[in-house]
Amino acid sequence: MTDAVLRVSGATKNFGGVRALHNASLTLYAGEIHALLGENGAGKSTLLKTLAGVHRLDAGEIILDGKKFHEGSTRLAREQGVAVIYQEPNLFPDLTLAENVFAGRQKVNGKIVDWVGMQTEAQTLFDQLGVPLNPRSRARGLSIADQQIVEIAKALSLNAKVIVMDEPTAALSSKEVERLFNVARALAKRGAAVVFVSHRLDEVFELTDRLTVMRDGATVGTGITLDTTEADVIHLMVGREVSELFPKGFHPIGDVVLSVKNLAHDGLFENISFDVRAGEIVALAGLVGSGRSEIARAIFGVEKYSHGTITMLGKELAAGSPSKAMAVGIALVPEDRRLQGLFMAASIAKNSSVTILNRIKKGFLVRSKDEAEIAKTWGETLELKYADINDPVERLSGGNQQKVVLAKWLASQPALLIVDEPTRGIDVGTKAQVHKLLSDEAGKGLAVLMISSELPEVLGMADRILVMREGLMVKEFSRAEATSANVIAAATGAVTV
Amino acid sequence: MKRVTFNWDKGILVFLVLTTIVGSFVTPYFANASNFSFVIQDIGEFMLMAIPMTFLIISGEIDLSIGSSLCLSSAALGYSFRHGIPFWLCIIIALLVGLACGLINGILVTKFGLQSLAVTIGTLALYRGLCFVLLGNQPVNQMPLSYTNLGSNSIPHTFLPYVTILIVIFGAIGWTTLHYTRLGRWTFAVGINVEAAKFSGIPVARLKLALFAMTGLMAGVAGIVYTFRFASASPDGATGYELSVIASVLFGGVSIAGGVGTMWGVLAAVLELGVIRSVLQLTNVSANTLLVVSGGLLLLSVAIPRAIELSRNRRKLVSSDSKS
Amino acid sequence: MNRFLTRLVSVREIPVLLALFIVLVVTGIANPQFVSASGAQDIFLGVAVIATLSVGMTFVITMRHIDLSVGSTAGFTAYMIGKMSAHHHGLVTSLLVALGIGLIVGAANGFLVAYLRLPSLVVTLASLWIVRGVFDQIAGGDTVTDNQVPVALGYLGRHSFANIPYIFIIAFVLILVASFFMRSVRPARDLYAMGSNPPASELAGIPVARRTFFAFLASGAVSGLGGAILLARFHSADSNSGLGLELNVIAACVVGGVAIAGGVGTPYGALIGALLLQSITQALGALGVSQFWQLAVNGTLLISAISLDRYLTLRVKPTRILRVKS
Repeated sequence: MTDAVLRVSGATKNFGGVRALHNASLTLYAGEIHALLGENGAGKSTLLKTLAGVHRLDAGEIILDGKKFHEGSTRLAREQGVAVIYQEPNLFPDLTLAENVFAGRQKVNGKIVDWVGMQTEAQTLFDQLGVPLNPRSRARGLSIADQQIVEIAKALSLNAKVIVMDEPTAALSSKEVERLFNVARALAKRGAAVVFVSHRLDEVFELTDRLTVMRDGATVGTGITLDTTEADVIHLMVGREVSELFPKGFHPIGDVVLSVKNLAHDGLFENISFDVRAGEIVALAGLVGSGRSEIARAIFGVEKYSHGTITMLGKELAAGSPSKAMAVGIALVPEDRRLQGLFMAASIAKNSSVTILNRIKKGFLVRSKDEAEIAKTWGETLELKYADINDPVERLSGGNQQKVVLAKWLASQPALLIVDEPTRGIDVGTKAQVHKLLSDEAGKGLAVLMISSELPEVLGMADRILVMREGLMVKEFSRAEATSANVIAAATGAVTV
Repeated sequence: MKRVTFNWDKGILVFLVLTTIVGSFVTPYFANASNFSFVIQDIGEFMLMAIPMTFLIISGEIDLSIGSSLCLSSAALGYSFRHGIPFWLCIIIALLVGLACGLINGILVTKFGLQSLAVTIGTLALYRGLCFVLLGNQPVNQMPLSYTNLGSNSIPHTFLPYVTILIVIFGAIGWTTLHYTRLGRWTFAVGINVEAAKFSGIPVARLKLALFAMTGLMAGVAGIVYTFRFASASPDGATGYELSVIASVLFGGVSIAGGVGTMWGVLAAVLELGVIRSVLQLTNVSANTLLVVSGGLLLLSVAIPRAIELSRNRRKLVSSDSKS
Repeated sequence: MNRFLTRLVSVREIPVLLALFIVLVVTGIANPQFVSASGAQDIFLGVAVIATLSVGMTFVITMRHIDLSVGSTAGFTAYMIGKMSAHHHGLVTSLLVALGIGLIVGAANGFLVAYLRLPSLVVTLASLWIVRGVFDQIAGGDTVTDNQVPVALGYLGRHSFANIPYIFIIAFVLILVASFFMRSVRPARDLYAMGSNPPASELAGIPVARRTFFAFLASGAVSGLGGAILLARFHSADSNSGLGLELNVIAACVVGGVAIAGGVGTPYGALIGALLLQSITQALGALGVSQFWQLAVNGTLLISAISLDRYLTLRVKPTRILRVKS
């Protein structure tokens, strides 16, 4: 470890009112594997996206190899020697692996594409990485692990000095993780600086040389991995205050509303059993990719499951039908509000009423008046800020859009509300409003199943916390037992603490 | 602060009024009852098929086989009549054949997961081929006058052709269904965001199947109208109608990407094309100009909204930083 | 064995070639006259026009677009070449005019699709009509008669080399050149990436707009010159020439493995597709099946081709694996 390859200092970035980076710093040396740690929302991905050329900093400096790093262009970022390997790479499924490695910059002999040269070089790269991939086969159907390898080979062929791996192990099997580690070590040996982002502390301690911990947009600690304990890391990660949030009030808890028994789906989750009662908020905690969202989608019927039963209010629920799930009072506020939750081009009124069209129609006709009425009522309850109820939701801010998704589902008067990341990417004020709303509705007897990657939210809101890890339900905490440390430990598989 | 929004479908109405006024001035033959009757008759089948096609395109699908479906139901009518089946039964058979055409498209798209553009190019050939299989090269003529007169005569005491009744009924049903019923809301929702539609409990596959079936059925209705009008069923009838129907729907302000459109925009667009054709014919401008004009209008109907969008985006980029 | 079979079938040209072979063999056994020089000649003559136009269409479909204007353009230039020759213009001049018309149509389509980002289906549907309208206006009820066809074109359309019609040889050479381009010349090769994953191709630094523009331009140019083949093939042209040809061309491409979803396919695949469709037409006649079945069979074939494609893409799907098995 000689000179720093990359030095980020004083990095600051705001999105609207949300502070994503605040005076963050990161230093990387050639030949090291460096872990970047932090809870969701700590600013890791904003920092990484800046290095990838997606964002431009509001303030701060990035020095790469002694020169100022040009921000804001993915192409320039690549040319300057930064490569980012995403959790789910974006390959060309119809092209061969060799072509994928050289996409957009095929090797040529004069004017003619040099197939043999590309294949040979791709083969050499794969060999160096110790991975038996055939450069002549097509990318379609490649496992995620192999797709990552192709991206890494591409980074190598570009002579990347900094290779960032953004949660690469989330969707890999243990064998594949082992292989990826070997690849990462090989990269470091060649002199690249490898950034490894993972929530799995065991992996961090097995693989990395140094680590940097971020919290609330700032760098809160950096050091040599060997000199650090898991307890130190967890302590740094979770120093966040719970008090800024609206905690759940205490209400009487009623009868069982939802009962899940031995639910399983091949390769995603196994042996899942739990109950949710009226007035209760149950949190499914765990890392992204641990199977939480898949369970929620299986309950709601947008995805299928292979084993087990779901019982709702004493009656078994047929699999694979959202409309049947809705008929028995299940609602799902999905993970991705832009893709799954909203019809961006449609009005606030139409978005809020899509779940209750049956109730507001007379004969065959939908009564637009009732529709607007209901949307306005919920708008008031949720303190929705809008100009006209007939404005398209794409004109609203992220927080207000999330309120429309909540309105749409609360309007259906569900008995069970599943919320998947209910406050992701919204400002603190709206967050508190959403929490108050969930608490109030639970007080009226609603059963809530909450999926969240934000520990303070989980700790502040949930009556019970079920922790998932790698498709299994590994731990259950009551509100009294749960602490940030023991939930993180259970979710990441850390042994100490 | 009221934003002035330009909608292409409103533009169509303006166009329609303008063409009518211009037409009345340039030729004395335009603004009279018999010409109006002629215009209606001329666009009858297109109106009937544009109504379900509007639903289909708004939902994000397309049916290129609609002209062949029309012809196949007409051929089925002729075929069964040739084999001595009572005429009223022939009509029902024709409707069922139309429905079957639509169902087959729908099943291939929703159950097999195939793309409607490709599938319906296939069924375009298949249905047309079956017309030839049924009828050979011989058109079926000499159908009962009591029926075929409906295709050429006017409603008693009016100048309106009988097809007006169908246009009014189906136009009204289509309009109400698209804009004021759950089915219509679902159609828009699916076209805007299929994923969100699934997450909102909308039975996407069943809805699309129904829309395809509806399109086939209406092609059947149009097939009967067509047969009556020409008092004949032939295997090469209505060739190329699919592109005209789709073009008028797009011209009426429906987005090919789905999720956007109004029924009255489409109905006005079909009428507008009929009026333009009539004015051009009456002023002895060659019919070819109509092709150029229709093509030009079709281009404008996509280019103008896009130009507005582009200029709006530019303003937005200047005024605020992009959000993640 | 099964896996080997699947892989074999995944090269989309192979099952089509196999089907072509089966059609020829089965028909040949049932009716030996079918496998004669004149039978082959009929098939080659029948596909020449579609094969030519499928070159441009393959470019366009590969990048997940479509070009409906090829029939109008080819019909128009077929007429123009004939008319110009009737007015004693040289063949080269006529061909240059044809090429010019094709380039204008292609450039217009390309500009609207690539730079204004309008949907190609709508744009080319509009240009289908506009070109046809201009064509009708110029041609009126006029017909280019056999004696007005340029002598050279008339010769190419009527004569063969070793029983292979010259116009097929021209189409074949064009297909070979285009296949080579799409495999080995960077800009053409990029079309596969663009159709396979549009957002990723932007990220990979491919100049997507420029490539799109030139692909449409190429399709226009091919259609413009395709008019010469059309004229040579039918020895006449009028305002109905090329009507509806676009759908036949698309059908040949799709049957030949050019996926409408983009990213897959080759010009020679489209040629095999055209040959298969044409042979079935001829085979039906040779087998004594009423020729009225021809279109229906072609339609069914087209749907089967799309279904096979779908099946093959669905078969290969990445799997996720549970890390800990309890």
